[in-house]
Amino acid sequence: MKRLASAIIAVVCALPFALVIMLSLAHGWRFPAILPHPFTAELWRSIVTGRVDLGAVFARSAALSATVALLSTAASFITAKFIAYHRRRPLLLTLAYAPYVMSPVILGVCILYLYIRAGIDGTFAGVVLAQTIFAFSFGIVFFTAFWNREKLELEQLVYTMGGTTRQLYSRVLLPLSRDALILCFFQTFLISWFQYGITLLIGEGKVQTLPLKVFDYIGEANPGYAALSSCLLVIPPVVMLWINKRLLPRIL
Amino acid sequence: MFLEARGIGKSFGGEDVLRGVDLSVAQQTTLSILGRSGCGKTTLLKIVAGLIAPDAGQVLLRGIDITNLPPQRRHILYLYQEPLLFPHLDAFDNVAFGLRLRDRPEPEVREATETMLAELDLSEQRHKMPHQLSGGQRQRVAFGRALAINPALLLLDEPFSSLDSETRGSMQQLFKRIAARHAITSIFVTHNLKESILMGDAIAHMRDGALHTYATKEAFVQDPGSGVAEEMEFWDGLRFQ
Repeated sequence: MKRLASAIIAVVCALPFALVIMLSLAHGWRFPAILPHPFTAELWRSIVTGRVDLGAVFARSAALSATVALLSTAASFITAKFIAYHRRRPLLLTLAYAPYVMSPVILGVCILYLYIRAGIDGTFAGVVLAQTIFAFSFGIVFFTAFWNREKLELEQLVYTMGGTTRQLYSRVLLPLSRDALILCFFQTFLISWFQYGITLLIGEGKVQTLPLKVFDYIGEANPGYAALSSCLLVIPPVVMLWINKRLLPRIL
Repeated sequence: MFLEARGIGKSFGGEDVLRGVDLSVAQQTTLSILGRSGCGKTTLLKIVAGLIAPDAGQVLLRGIDITNLPPQRRHILYLYQEPLLFPHLDAFDNVAFGLRLRDRPEPEVREATETMLAELDLSEQRHKMPHQLSGGQRQRVAFGRALAINPALLLLDEPFSSLDSETRGSMQQLFKRIAARHAITSIFVTHNLKESILMGDAIAHMRDGALHTYATKEAFVQDPGSGVAEEMEFWDGLRFQ
C-alpha cells in the first residue's frame, strides 16, 4: 500500500515534466491521437542551428542569474554580519524583510521611476540591480542565523591570537560558512532564474530571459517552443539539486 | 608590575558594570578573581584583552599603555568558558592554528604542535575533530592552542565551569603544572571559592563592579565578605552531625 502510494505520488510529480519533454519532441499531435506522432528532435536542433534565439536567451539568463547570485550572496553575507551584531538588530532585520515581503512586481513599480531617471531601465545591468535588491533581502534573512554568538567569539579569539581580518576570513569564517554560502548562491540563483514580473517591468521587454520566452511562446499559441523553453528552464534547478545532494550532505 | 589596570570604568545602558577598578599582576603569577555571575569579571577581562573599550582608566603591560592598542597587537590571549575549538579543524590543526597565523615554517609548526600535544597527553587524539573529544580533552586542546603561541598574558574566564568535578580537579592540577613549567602570567576568573584559592598566587574579589585585591591568601580567608568563613562553618557543621 505504501509502495503504491509512493508510486502514485512519483507519477503525479513526474507527469508535468514528462509532458513538457514530450511536447518539445512532438512534431504533430492532432485529435484524436493519444500520443504525438512523429517524435523528432527538430525543435532541439533549432537551438543549435540558430533558427530560434533560445541558446542566446539561455546564456543571458544564466549570466544574469549567476551575477545576481554572486552579488547578493557576497553582499548579504557581510551585511547580515553587521545586522546580527547591531544593537538595533530587530529593527534592521524588519527593514531587510521589506523587499522580500512585498511582491517583486510591486518592488519593480516602486523603483522603476528611479531607473528611468538613472537611464538604466531596459538594460541588462538594470535588471541585475533590480533582482539583486530582492535576492539581497533574502540573503540577509538567510545569513542572520549564521552570525551567532559562537562566530563572534571565534572572531575575538582569532584577534587575541594575533590574527588579521584577512586571516580570520580565510582560515575560519569562510571555511565555516562554505556550505551556507553555496546554498545561498543556489537559492538566490533560482530566485533570479524564475523571476518574471520584475524582469519584464525593469527590462521593458528588451532584456529577454527564459521565463519571458516561455510566456511569449504561450501567448503565441506555440506549445512546441513553449515546452522547449520550459525544458531549458528546468535544467539549472535539476543540476543544482544534484550538486546539493552530492556536495552538501550536511545541509540537505 | 607586569600588568596594571588603573581606574577602569565601564557602563552598559546606563548601568555601571565596573567602577574604578585597579588591579595588578606580577610576572609569572596567577591572579584569581572571584565573583558572582554578572558582577563584571568577564567585562574586565575583555577590557584587558582589548575586546571591549573602557569608558575610563588605562591598561598597562610592562609599563606601556596598551589601552588603545587593538587585541591583535597586545599578545594577550583570552580563553572563553567554552573551549571554543575551531569546528572545521582537528585537534592537531587547532593547536597549530596560532603558529600558522604567524607564518612559522611548517616543520617548526609540526614539531612544536607534536610536543605540545604530548605534554597535554593528547597525542592519541591528534586527528580527532572537536565533536569527537570529551569536555576535558577539548579544554586541553584549547590550552595547547593558547600555550603554543606563548602569549604574554593568559586570561581564563571560568574555563572549567562546564566540566564535571573530577575532570575539573584534574584540569586544575594540569593548569598549575603547565603554568609553572611555561612561566605563565595569568588572570583566572571563577565563581568557585575553592578554585580561586587553588589556582591563584594572589586573590581578588569582585563585587558590584568594584575589585578588592587581598595582600595574602590569609587575608582573603579571614575577610568575612569573601565567604570562606561561611563555607568552613558549613563543613564543620556537617562534621558534628
